[in-house]
This record gives sequence, structure tokens and C-alpha cells, in this order.
Amino acid sequence: MLQRLLPFLTLITLFVSLSIATPNFLTHLNLSTVVRQTAVINIIALGMTLIIVTSGIDLSVGAILALSGFLGAKAMEAGYSIPMAILIGLTVGTTCGLINGFLITRLKINPFIVTLGMLGVIRGMTLTISNGLPASGVPEGFSFLATGTLLGLPLVLWILVVCAVAMHFVLEYTKLGRYAFAIGSNPDAAYYAGVPVSFHLTFVYAIAGLLTGLAAMIEASRLMTGQPTAGQGYELQAIAAVVIGGGSLRGGEGTVLGTLIGAFIMGLLSNGSDLLGINPYLQQTLIGLAIIVAVTLDELRKRRLPK
Amino acid sequence: MLLELKDIRKTFGGVTALRSGNLSVKPGEVHLLMGENGAGKSTLMKIVAGMYQPDGGEIRWNGQPVQFANPAQAASAGIAMVHQESLLFPHLTVAENIYLGRTGSGPFVSRRQMLDNARKLIEDQRFPLQADWLVSKLSPAGKQMVEICRAVSLGSSLLIFDEPTSSLSESETREVFRIVKNLRDRGMGVIYITHRLEELRTVGDHVTVLRDGATVHSSPLAELDTQGLIRHMVGREVAALYSRTPVPPGEPLLVIENLCRKPLLQNINLTVRAGEIVGMAGLVGAGRTELCRAIFGVDQRDSGSIAVCGQPVKASEPREAVQSGVALITEDRQKTGLATQLSIACNVTMANLDSISSYGTLDLKREKTMTSGYQEKLRIKMNAPTQLAGRLSGGNQQKVVISKWLATGAKVFLFDEPTRGIDVGAKVEVFQVMDELARNGAAILMVSSELPEIQQVADRIVVMRQGRISGELPGGASQEDIMRLAVFETESGRMPGEDEGTIQ
Repeated sequence: MLQRLLPFLTLITLFVSLSIATPNFLTHLNLSTVVRQTAVINIIALGMTLIIVTSGIDLSVGAILALSGFLGAKAMEAGYSIPMAILIGLTVGTTCGLINGFLITRLKINPFIVTLGMLGVIRGMTLTISNGLPASGVPEGFSFLATGTLLGLPLVLWILVVCAVAMHFVLEYTKLGRYAFAIGSNPDAAYYAGVPVSFHLTFVYAIAGLLTGLAAMIEASRLMTGQPTAGQGYELQAIAAVVIGGGSLRGGEGTVLGTLIGAFIMGLLSNGSDLLGINPYLQQTLIGLAIIVAVTLDELRKRRLPK
Repeated sequence: MLLELKDIRKTFGGVTALRSGNLSVKPGEVHLLMGENGAGKSTLMKIVAGMYQPDGGEIRWNGQPVQFANPAQAASAGIAMVHQESLLFPHLTVAENIYLGRTGSGPFVSRRQMLDNARKLIEDQRFPLQADWLVSKLSPAGKQMVEICRAVSLGSSLLIFDEPTSSLSESETREVFRIVKNLRDRGMGVIYITHRLEELRTVGDHVTVLRDGATVHSSPLAELDTQGLIRHMVGREVAALYSRTPVPPGEPLLVIENLCRKPLLQNINLTVRAGEIVGMAGLVGAGRTELCRAIFGVDQRDSGSIAVCGQPVKASEPREAVQSGVALITEDRQKTGLATQLSIACNVTMANLDSISSYGTLDLKREKTMTSGYQEKLRIKMNAPTQLAGRLSGGNQQKVVISKWLATGAKVFLFDEPTRGIDVGAKVEVFQVMDELARNGAAILMVSSELPEIQQVADRIVVMRQGRISGELPGGASQEDIMRLAVFETESGRMPGEDEGTIQ
């Protein structure tokens, strides 16, 4: 039980130590910054949690983020309204997710391979249509999405909370979530039980695409441009958040709370290193170590139990 | 004494697997180790083979106290284990598997020498194997032969068989017995873990019974009758293994006509009526599992028709079969039956989530009540509906799988080797469930390789041989009659090909 709580205790410890170590940490401004910085990864990681529960993986989310964000920003440049542009971003993300799901279930190709291929396809497409140049004709008002506040808290925090609650509900209380666990835990048993495996898997990747589209619009709002090179390496950060939070790449395991904790541990490590003046290059090493330690502890916990 | 175990203890986390394991094996002896699932047999043997380290107690090997830190140490001392689930490398050849890790010094492998050695070894044992076959293409029996070859080539003096015959057909079982006797006659000690009461008389010299992690009995086999053995194993008297109360059969619920599927199934005609338990016997590879798969839509048939409850079905995928009221309890529970990492409740409702959901939202309270209902009905030994299904014993896992299908309200039940790997007490309970299902109007087709089971449970016995139905017998038909249909041509009565000629 103690070890199940370990990610949570780590987060608390990290929080308390940073509060003591530097006076700049526990301020409204800094904590808002942490929330804004981690929200994008956090929202992507929610979709990744659902995918990893089915024992799948999506390496293309960073590329999807770039394409959705770029096309959303391009729409604003072309004169579309902000809500319309956001809708376009979400649609692009969902479509990419659908294509992933479709390839995985119809062609029966391993998700790792499909999404690795799609990572290249989508990233290359984004660079081609943008010619490598960002879409920057974004109206002033668009910055509200990333920097606005609602009831004194960052708007992105509200968005994250709504998405997290929704994803928690999907995982624990819906047929889709239950089938995701069944497919991830034992795909053959699920198939024999008459679970429509292909349909639900496709749906899962589409949901992850939708969340990535949302994250893309927040990222675009944060940068106030649609960067065709945005989101590089985000897929790995999202996967890391899920894994640190107790999700298993073998499938059948993963919780929304765990993923949120995982993402915030990484966010605090990064923010704390900034505040303490630790070399930014070293931050990557710290986060890498955190992943290995988290997974090792989780494995040890599982090994101590009888089969 | 070759091997002596005294007071071996082992706990995993908070769970005690062994409280007091005691066992003594002489050279040239076949020592049966018996007990229900969860009694600690496998744990005790894994300690002997160096896979686990004991928390307490003493191991003596040839009179000397020893401790094996890993399987390699046990192997070099001369202890080898043939596993229940094969631990071979499927993508390597038979020869490579036999000699893996011992291909001589230096980084290079002399393929030819290895093949030659393997061929000699296989010939010596009279196994129907080829040294250059891929292990992934072998039957379970073939895989065990490879493990035995490996053990013999290591010069082992103690060989442990962990339920060697649970996945084998009748003829393959006899082949394993021949091998075991052969090894014993060469002076090797053999420890043989088994569940199957009926087969032990022919091979065993001595028997040790474990119950709840402790040795409760040890004596020469001749001094213990079957009733006494069951008493020691379950700690209570079991009157009769099973008896069925047949009911007059009703409407035909499953009708199969001229079903063919290349390369195996040919012209299958079969009808199962409401209230009937039809036993299906045959050798492994006769097409019984394949027939179940074709009925359930896992494999597509080439021609012929299937009707369930009077309605013709396409049987193009399991989903359709489930919806038309067919249930398949597969022979491989771990692979296709149970999601072991998920809770019992998740497993129970997996095939019929609609019954606990509205607009895609689950009613978890209802799921819990439903699971508790089946827990009571099938007497599943479990802590809570949230417990992981993989933590249950084999018998209770099987009951969870059966609950899953009861929840779908299926009318046609296909049981493929329903008692594989489960203990005596649970077997009886599985049969009671089948009996009750039949009395409530379900049609049951039961595939089993254990003839006594078929004899006692089935109302009619259908026998398959090489993809065809070779005959039908009334319930309680003699084992000889069943085996005749399973092995010989129906009319001429002559022996088929050499490969099946191992029956004595």
C-alpha cells in the first residue's frame, strides 16, 4: 500500500523541499507558471493513459500537436473566428487519432510501428505545408486560452481539471473504459467474450487525438503562433508521466490521478531546477532518472506479490 | 537418500505458500507429489530447482546440506525440471534448445556437432522428434520430450515433472509414463506432480501429499487407496467423484450439418439438445478444439451450416456467437478465458456489460451484487469482487469464467477441457454447475481428454478422429470402446498410421 502511494509521497516531498529550498517557489506567480507549463503535457498524458491501458502506445502525439496547432493558427490568420479555429484544431487532432486507430485495427499492425510511422508522416506534412514557417497572424484575444484566469486560477487549470475528471469517469465508469482495461489485460479473452475490440481501440486513439488537439490550441495560445516544429519529444514526456504514475506498458493498468501526479513530478523537477539554478541540460538527466526509479519501485512491488 | 527436504517454509509478501514441506526421494524411485491447487507443490519444487529460496528449513542433496541460489546451481548439482508451461525457446530448433548455454567454449557454435548429439539423444530415448525442427511447431508433448532430452543430456540424477500430462492426450500420457519408467530403471529419481488420480497407479512407487502448505502424508503408494488419498488431499471425505441426474432432452439447441473446414474438419454432423451433456472424446489433434472454434466463430468454416436455438448463424466472429447464445469455456484459461490482472467483477461482466450499463455508463453497485451472486451460487472462494482474478486458484478461476458466461444467459455451452489444471474438489463443483445448467435447459458440449470424466458426466459420447466424427456411444460406455473409436478406423478396425501407435 505504501508503495502504491509512493508517487504521491514523492510529489509532496518535492513540493515541501522546494518550498523550503527557495523562497521563489511557493508564490502564486510561480505555481501558476508550473500549471501552465505542465498543462499541455498533462492533457496529452490523459489520452496517453487511456491508450496505455489498452497496452498500446502513441508516438505521434507531438507531431499531431504541431499539425493541429499550425492549422488552427493558420485558420485565424485566414480570418476565421477563435472558436472556429479551436474547433479546427480539435478536428485535426481527432482525425489523426482516427487514422492511427484505423491503421492499428484494420491492418493489424503494432501501435508502436503505426504511430512511429505517423510521427514521420504528420511531422513531415506539417513542415511541407508550412514550409517551415510559423503561422503568426493570431488575434490578441487568443492569448486568453493559455494565460487567462477564471475565479483567480489559471484557465488552463480548469480545462485540465475538467478533462481529468472526464477521463477518470471514462476509465472507471463507462463501457469504453472497461473494454480498454479488458483489451489491455487480455486481448484474446476480450475477443472471445464478444468485445468489439477494433471499434473501441479506434475510439481510444481518436479520444487521444482529440485531447492532443486541445493541447495543441493551448500551446499555440501560449506561443501566440502555430509552430510547425512544436511538440518535439512531447510523446515521450506524456508516456513518462503515465509510467511514473503507475501505468504499465504491458497494459491493463493506469489511473488518471497517477498520470496527473507523474506529470506534476516532472513539472516540479523542471521548475525546481530552474529556480535552484541547476544547469538546464542536467534537468533531462534528472527526469530520466525519475522514470527509471519510478518503474523500478513499481516492478519491485509487483514482484513481491505471489503470482 | 537422494533428496531430503525438512520443514521447508516460504512466504510471498504476506501470503504463506509453504508452512512445513517435507519430502524424501530415493534414487530409482518415482515419487508422486500430490495435493490440491495452492497446496504448495509447485512452490516446493521450485525451491528444489533453485528458482525460489526457502525462508527456512533444510535441503539435503545426497546427504549434504545445500542451498541453491539459482536454477543454474541446482542444474549443475543434477536437478532438472520439466515445466507445466514450457520454458523452451520457440524460435530455436530442438537441438538448440537441448544444448542452449552449453555450446562449448568460445563464442562460436558448432551446429553440425550439436545436431549430431541431439539426434543420438533423441534416438536413445525413442522420441518421435527431429533435431532440426522448430520448437514452436511442436505439440505440448513434443515440447516436454525436448525438456526431458535436455535434462538427460545434463546428466541429471533427479528429474521433476510438474503436471506433465495435464495438456496431453491419452496416448501421449502413456508415452510419458513409458519415459518415466525408463528413467527410473536407469536409477534416476523422479518427482512427479499430478492432479490425476486415475493415472498415478501405473507409475508411482511412493506418494507424498501436501495440504495447505504442509506435508500431511507420505507412504509407499501401495499402502494408500484412492479414497484415503482424496481424504488426505482435501481434508474431508468425498463420497463419489460425481454423479449426473439426466433429464429427458428437449429441443435441439445446437445443430451442425456437414461442417467442413480445411485442413482438418470434415463433414461434421452433430446435434445437442436442451438438457443434454454431450461428451466429446478423441486424441489431441483429432479436431475437437477446432470444432469448438468453428462453432464459436473464431475460425471460419468453409461449408456446412450451424443453427443455434433454431436460428441459422453465420458464426463469423465470437461476438456474433455470444449474441446468439453460445458460450465457449476455452481450454487455455490464462490465454483466452480470464483477464488475470483485472478484478473478478470485471471478468464476470466482461461478456455482458450491457446488463449493468445504461447509455454506456456502468452501474458498479449492480456489478458487485451480480458478482457476489455468482460467488454464492458457484461457491467461488474469494475475498471480494475487487480481488484480482489472477490471484484465485485454478478451480476458482474456472468458476469465474463460467460466471462470465452465465451472465450472458447463454443456452449452448461449449466446455473445452473444463477441468484442466484444477483440483479434485473444484472438478466436482464444475460438474455440478454443468449438471445444473443442463437441468435448467442448456445444451452442453464437453470436450475432455480424461475418459473417466466423460464416462461419468456425459449423457452421450461423441468420438472424433482425424477431423471426423468416428462414432457415437451411450453415456457410461467403456474406456476401451471410446479409445477404439478414437484410435482405430471405425469399420475395418485396423490400426492407423505409426504416429498414433503408442497405445499398448
